[in-house]
Amino acid sequence: MHTVLQRGNSILAYALSVLAFLTFCCFISTVFLNYTTNAEIKTIKVVVKNVPDFSALREKNDLGFLTVDLQTDLTHLFNWNVKQLFLYLTAEYETPNNVLNQVVLWDKIILRGENAILNFKNMNTKYYFWDDGNGLKGNKNITLTLSWNIIPNAGLLPNIFASGSHSFKFPVEYTSSRM
Amino acid sequence: MDYFKNIPLHMDFDGQHKAERLSRIIITLFGIVGLIWGYAIQQFSQTVYILASGFFLAGILTIPPWPMYRKKPLNWQPARNSDGTTSSKSKKKK
Repeated sequence: MHTVLQRGNSILAYALSVLAFLTFCCFISTVFLNYTTNAEIKTIKVVVKNVPDFSALREKNDLGFLTVDLQTDLTHLFNWNVKQLFLYLTAEYETPNNVLNQVVLWDKIILRGENAILNFKNMNTKYYFWDDGNGLKGNKNITLTLSWNIIPNAGLLPNIFASGSHSFKFPVEYTSSRM
Repeated sequence: MDYFKNIPLHMDFDGQHKAERLSRIIITLFGIVGLIWGYAIQQFSQTVYILASGFFLAGILTIPPWPMYRKKPLNWQPARNSDGTTSSKSKKKK
């Protein structure tokens, strides 16, 4: 502590240690919170087509088209350790080829301070619902789930599944007309 | 040039101790207040800003060798000549 540089070094190091401790306190204050909440999902229009998948091998694969109603309020999830939420809507189903298929159909980023009350009516999906074969036609149990990934200031990045999922079935016939 | 050389730049031992203790107290205090305030308004950035202001305050108060850190200079023994007698000219004290 006998020169200017040593004193500057010393208090900078101490301030950074305190900052690390405060960040840890922030992490501890939020790590045990329960971030699950309810989301209401409904499908309005469900159509399945059999079209060539040019992104794969140009084979004819099943392509599902849905429109979805999505309603949820995520405002209370935000606190001083949440910078943003990454929402994503996944479809889970079983086919003869695979026991578990998961397809992300839609996603959205909500920054803290933005409107977190979601109320979508008859919303198109953002991404294509391709199956890797012919597993969609007549599939009786497709489950839509809303999940979110919490991006914090410090700490874990948990994936939270909303309570309240929606199951639907695809029609047994392909639709050939344009929509 | 002599004027600049005569600016005292050191702290005495007691002053160094006081400077270290003061900086620790200031930074810790600002950290605690920042944590409470940041939690109250749920903005961790405010916690960081308050801690940073505490750091700058501590820097202003304890990094430069202010005169308050020079109040207890060491009383050096007078320098001796090689034959063991006390020299007459080195009576200067800091």
